[in-house]
Amino acid sequence: MTLTPEQQALGRRTFLKALAGTPALAALGATAAIKGPLPGGPVRLGFIGVGGQGRALLDSTRAPHAEVRALCDINPTQLARADEILKQNSLPPARHYVEWPEMLQKEDIEAVVLAPPLWAHAEITVGCLEAGRHVLCEKMMAWDVAGCERMRDAALRAGRVLEIGYQRFYNPLYEATYDGVIRPGLLGDVYYARLVWHRNANWRRTGQPPSPDYDPSRWGYPTFEHLLNWRLYNKYSQGLFAELGSHQLNIANWFFDSEPTRVVASGGVYRFKDGRETPDHVYGTFEYSGGRTATFTSIESNAFDDAYEMFMGTKGTLILKNENEAMLFEEGSGARASGVELTPRSAGAAATASETVSGTTPDPAAAASGSATASGTQQVERRVATRRQIERFCAAIRVGTPVACGPGKALGSARACILANTSLVEKAPTTT
Amino acid sequence: MLDRPRALSGTQQLLLVLLRTLIGWHFLYEGYFKLLYPAWTRAGVPLERFSSAGYLRNAGGPFGEVFHVLADPAWAPWVDRGVAFALLVAGLLLVLGLFTQLGCVLALGLLAAFYLSAIPLQGVPEPRSEGTYLIVNKNLIEAAAVCVVLVFRTGRIAGLDVLRRGVARAPVGAPEAVL
Repeated sequence: MTLTPEQQALGRRTFLKALAGTPALAALGATAAIKGPLPGGPVRLGFIGVGGQGRALLDSTRAPHAEVRALCDINPTQLARADEILKQNSLPPARHYVEWPEMLQKEDIEAVVLAPPLWAHAEITVGCLEAGRHVLCEKMMAWDVAGCERMRDAALRAGRVLEIGYQRFYNPLYEATYDGVIRPGLLGDVYYARLVWHRNANWRRTGQPPSPDYDPSRWGYPTFEHLLNWRLYNKYSQGLFAELGSHQLNIANWFFDSEPTRVVASGGVYRFKDGRETPDHVYGTFEYSGGRTATFTSIESNAFDDAYEMFMGTKGTLILKNENEAMLFEEGSGARASGVELTPRSAGAAATASETVSGTTPDPAAAASGSATASGTQQVERRVATRRQIERFCAAIRVGTPVACGPGKALGSARACILANTSLVEKAPTTT
Repeated sequence: MLDRPRALSGTQQLLLVLLRTLIGWHFLYEGYFKLLYPAWTRAGVPLERFSSAGYLRNAGGPFGEVFHVLADPAWAPWVDRGVAFALLVAGLLLVLGLFTQLGCVLALGLLAAFYLSAIPLQGVPEPRSEGTYLIVNKNLIEAAAVCVVLVFRTGRIAGLDVLRRGVARAPVGAPEAVL
């Protein structure tokens, strides 16, 4: 076939005319693919462990971010209470499971929210990640450092989201403090942070087993009391350093942008000699690089100090109290005299739903033991933070936005708290 | 008048095809966006599911009753899907210049429905509206623009209609393409 140059030019021109819209479609389509929304509905969630903290997380779970498909707990009483939460929030009922592997096998869920006793975190988290589920695991990350590392590695291998539940990272007050005070360096050089969580109440809970013949021994708890008060036994718990201290130490790590390198701790069971193993008084000193130090104290015999994080800098002092109040004092202005106003909100502030009074879920067992509840504003702040945490977890799954406390940060504070307990037991400093 | 051969300048042809492409993209993305539901923004916020039910329920004007019927729960899901699909098809046809006249008619039908269901007769800002309109609103202006695209038969200037009509058979009265 022979074409004249004129014919060839005409053919090329006609071809270009015919496909004139195609480049536009491709360009605009690519823009939509890069900038446009991503498909996907609510994240399908399962909950494992619906005790106090699990229910606080459940209470913060809403459409359109997530839908609850299944609940799993070895205690039927907790499942019944969780059902009440769903009902109160006008959410459809979720299927019940006792064994979490069965839930993973039978349910079309994408992610799991975990709040079982600490010693079970690593095993369940790794199992869920290996089954292809994303995991939001309540703090502390795991009972030991090896468990934390297994969780981190499993998330990397599976390519799934792993978040550890430290609500302070989602509290607008802490975000604003970091952005407005810490990052601009308003405190000057900070060499010391004081972390305090003092209560005046028994950590022990009381409650009845779900049935007279209920036997939790097949899950590793010799009696129902061990299950109910797992925080008081070393096999399941890392005590006050983990349940309270890791929250505050995580903030110190965040604001110092570092992790402790040396830990010295002391403490013991001094007040409640009722057979518990985890100390009711702990005192820890956490040393960071650059001469920076954080101390954490938690006592169960006086609530005057309540709970706060105080950062003392060369130019000012910052106090974050009870997760709902921030105070900033300029160094040398004379404000220090009235700086710390530690009037307790309620005599004997102590744990309710969880050890940190998360959410608004009342725990009948805690109420029966006479524990005080958190103040209203404190509950609101925590509820907001918990809801944001769930929402950000779902967003991380759907569109890949970062979570605020992934395994890296969580491992840092967990390692320090575990080392603190080691130091307490061995009566010697420990290093990372 | 338009059947007579007419020489449009290159710029005129270019702008007509550009106008068609822009209108087409507007329709195409509206349809794509609605069909994408449920969806999330890239910042991590879930988007509310598209539903025309509220829009139809609040429809006024001479055809208000017809739109109210379409807002019935039995019809609404089909209306939602139909509107989204029609937007997508109209957009594709206009962007690609394929069955361009049909695409224009479809686009005009949709715009007429949107306009007639909410004719701005009050002349005051309406809820969830970014402007203030009296009789003339953006739907009406876009409809007029589609009419321009329709009567100038832009599928003969550029687009897959050129191939569909045959490379060798130049249409009578078609503008001399210089794109």
